[in-house]
Amino acid sequence: MTTNYEQLAKKMVARAKKRGATQAEAFIQVGREASCRVRDGEIESLTEATSKGCGVRVIVNKRLGFAWTTDFTPSGIDAFVDRAITLAEVSAPNPLNGFAESRDLGALPDVGSLCDSAIISLAPDWKIKAALEMEKVCRAFDPRIKTIDSVEAGENVNEVYLATSAGMQGGYQSTSAYLYASAVASEGEQLQTGYWHDVKRFLSELGSPESVAREGARRAVRLLGAKKVKSQQVPVIFDPSMAAGFISSVVSAANGDSVFKKSSFLASKLGQRVAAENVTIVDDGLLPRGLGTAPFDGEGVARRRTPVIQNGVLTSFLYDSFTARKAKQRSTGNASRWYKSMPSIGTHNLYLEAGNKSPEEIIKEVPNGFYVTAMLGHGANIVTGEYSRGANGVWIVNGELTRPVQEVTVAGKLTEMLEGIDAIGSDLHFRGSTGAPTIRFKELTVSGE
Amino acid sequence: MAPKPLKLVSTTLFPIPLTERLLGAAMERGADFAEVFVERTQSTAVVLDEEKVKSAQSGLAQGVGIRVISGAKIGYAYSDDLDQAALFRAARTASFIAHGGGSEQSFKVTRTPLPTFYSLKQHLEDVELSSKRDLVVRANKAARASDKRVKQVSATYVDSTKRILVANTRGHLAEDTQDLSRIAVQVVVEGKKGERRTGFYGGGGRMPFSHFDTFTPELVALEAARQACAGLGAVEAQAGEQTVVLAPGWSGILLHEAVGHGLEADFIRKGTSLFAGKVGEKVASDLVTVIDDGTVANSRGSLNVDDEGNPAQFKVLIERGVLKGYMYDDFNARLMNTATTGSGRRENFTCLPMPRMTNTYLARGEDTHDDIVRSVDGGVYCANFGGGQVDITNGNFVFEVSEAYEIKKGKIGRPLKGVTLIGVGPEALKNVSRVGNDPMPDPGMGTCGKDGQSVPVGVGLPTLRIDKMTVGGTRVGGAK
Repeated sequence: MTTNYEQLAKKMVARAKKRGATQAEAFIQVGREASCRVRDGEIESLTEATSKGCGVRVIVNKRLGFAWTTDFTPSGIDAFVDRAITLAEVSAPNPLNGFAESRDLGALPDVGSLCDSAIISLAPDWKIKAALEMEKVCRAFDPRIKTIDSVEAGENVNEVYLATSAGMQGGYQSTSAYLYASAVASEGEQLQTGYWHDVKRFLSELGSPESVAREGARRAVRLLGAKKVKSQQVPVIFDPSMAAGFISSVVSAANGDSVFKKSSFLASKLGQRVAAENVTIVDDGLLPRGLGTAPFDGEGVARRRTPVIQNGVLTSFLYDSFTARKAKQRSTGNASRWYKSMPSIGTHNLYLEAGNKSPEEIIKEVPNGFYVTAMLGHGANIVTGEYSRGANGVWIVNGELTRPVQEVTVAGKLTEMLEGIDAIGSDLHFRGSTGAPTIRFKELTVSGE
Repeated sequence: MAPKPLKLVSTTLFPIPLTERLLGAAMERGADFAEVFVERTQSTAVVLDEEKVKSAQSGLAQGVGIRVISGAKIGYAYSDDLDQAALFRAARTASFIAHGGGSEQSFKVTRTPLPTFYSLKQHLEDVELSSKRDLVVRANKAARASDKRVKQVSATYVDSTKRILVANTRGHLAEDTQDLSRIAVQVVVEGKKGERRTGFYGGGGRMPFSHFDTFTPELVALEAARQACAGLGAVEAQAGEQTVVLAPGWSGILLHEAVGHGLEADFIRKGTSLFAGKVGEKVASDLVTVIDDGTVANSRGSLNVDDEGNPAQFKVLIERGVLKGYMYDDFNARLMNTATTGSGRRENFTCLPMPRMTNTYLARGEDTHDDIVRSVDGGVYCANFGGGQVDITNGNFVFEVSEAYEIKKGKIGRPLKGVTLIGVGPEALKNVSRVGNDPMPDPGMGTCGKDGQSVPVGVGLPTLRIDKMTVGGTRVGGAK
């Protein structure tokens, strides 16, 4: 017997209303995961499971309660809905409390299929074969690849259901498949790791196991012999993966809640120039076949395309319903969540628009600088706008990639970094649900010796 | 109406005969070993933001994870559905990695007596919700009253009562109840010309709720506000190699990252750690003795039993600079012909256990804190740390120093901003030139992430002087 989760979500909402909730919302997630890791030509681990969970938010006398559970027995569900009601009694009344408003609910966009039948019916040995191939390719790439950290392949099928007392109800199913390869190269006393991965909603768009493995191995070997450099201020290039991380940090400062609390360096800059003119950063919840695409957000609000920075000008902050009400704005459909947590503001498919220079040109124009391919640490303080992270990569001399570098940091002020982006590559590359091309900063501080 | 405590109705976590039958089903295809891990975790959170208790939250996670081992192969399946059919399906799914014959039999398991490093008369799930709420309300009040420059305060209290049962085909059965609590306060202050700084402090552990009578929300709030205010007017840090002094206590997260992870047995077995094959070798200065101890009373990282059912241990990892051993879970230990150190941990029933740290600290030395600071002509005093990360393969580690000061001629001077420390684990350890004799209070706020799994950990470090550490900053050149 299959459970009708959409009906179950509605039932939870009804029970909460009966128990005194003025507003209620139920969110259910059901998932299936399968993954395989290999080592030395054999399976290292094979994991398969189905799982589910639900979260319910209630408002009782303007007070907010939230409970979640993985216990779907009828008594378990009743107990957890009642617990949410009890919890609400402890929090403070707030007239702004509430979920998505009716004016934000309604017609949902057509986002096309989120589900790949090829992944749903994937043969159980697909992941084993893919992982074995990746290990073989890694080891064969270079004699200095002496071991692997891990290679893994897997697939996920997820379902989301939502029902609210404002009448919203809906659900969608989505798929994803991924490949991950992390190789270790060694020479002398030094060990270096390099990893690469790909994850896509549709199997046909996933990179080949060979390409993922080669890139992981290449990144490890390239760093062999890495050394510190002298502290200096130079042009710094981030490869697309590192650039994607940078974009995420910047956009976390456009979080409507941080902005409302003035805990963001972007708080007072809406409508102002904050970045170089060629910088356009978009969160697109509707991106066709995007990993972060879905019809509605964690509160049932239709997803949309939101340019955060357009041609260097800060054009929008990101909001969920509660924060939007607080800031007298409209939700941008950016409530992210899973069943264990209440919605919070997040991005869906976030990317920096591609420019027109090839990455080779961007490197070629640098007489003395740093090409960053891996980073450590969290790095960005969105309150103060300071940025500092550990970095590995390759030193550029006269437009050529020369010797590998490690044990240094790159640092700057986010405002100056954004203004100082002086080249954007044509190589926009999505890494999961965040994407960016190669970017170059006019000058950052590299700290080493 | 007064809120009622959330009571969990549970006598035994899971029926033993069913556990024994599941082990039998998992061994159907003739594997070497099977294990059943049962978990039921009740958690609570109270969140205060913008002067209001924004929400009270609670969650219940329960499920069973079944692990089957055949040689070096692991099969894993889990189910949050406790229906027997679903559980047997999981057992059979996990068994697929094994080949060959076996016959379904039941595996008898016997309970092993366990030591007790924490035992709460009243579990945290049974504490009145209103008492938990009062902590965050008090924290907010104290932080705001402490300084008029305080603009934002958010306070969170979280706790969990986790019950686990681990049984395996070696006949071993262990059960434990693990309570854990933490209060955390973040403060944003505004100084002149709109300069904003943040401060963060918190703590807790596997203590009874009365811990917060002495580790009060006021104490936590004042420390968070002090840190935030201390950063106002901070000047840019000089980039490059410098002598650094780490304040005692929470700085232990640097040790955790720089050294701890590289001593976990999975990385050693795969040869991906810089410390692999170096037992008996000198890997640090003579002053350095590193210990991982899962048996510290009531500490955040302590375990009566690990997630493979083995008692936690006290382990000397590095003794006077010489590498003595690694941290093993049972799986890696067997493949490496040695014994587990009770270090097998997992975030929850959906995860495979891995070798992890518990409470990791550096043994006390002989110098006083003030003597160590006085010994530095020019350098950086690191009073508090934000996040950190390590690449265990090349040993590179990075730390954000959330509260830093310059040291000039043996005296602590102006606050510094944007300081990051970067180094290579073993090199940093060789450059330890002074170790303090001071206590190293761990407030109890560490959470360690590895391979996507988070577990609570304890840390500790006496005052430490490290020479030639790379300080990441934004200022290059100029007067030192």
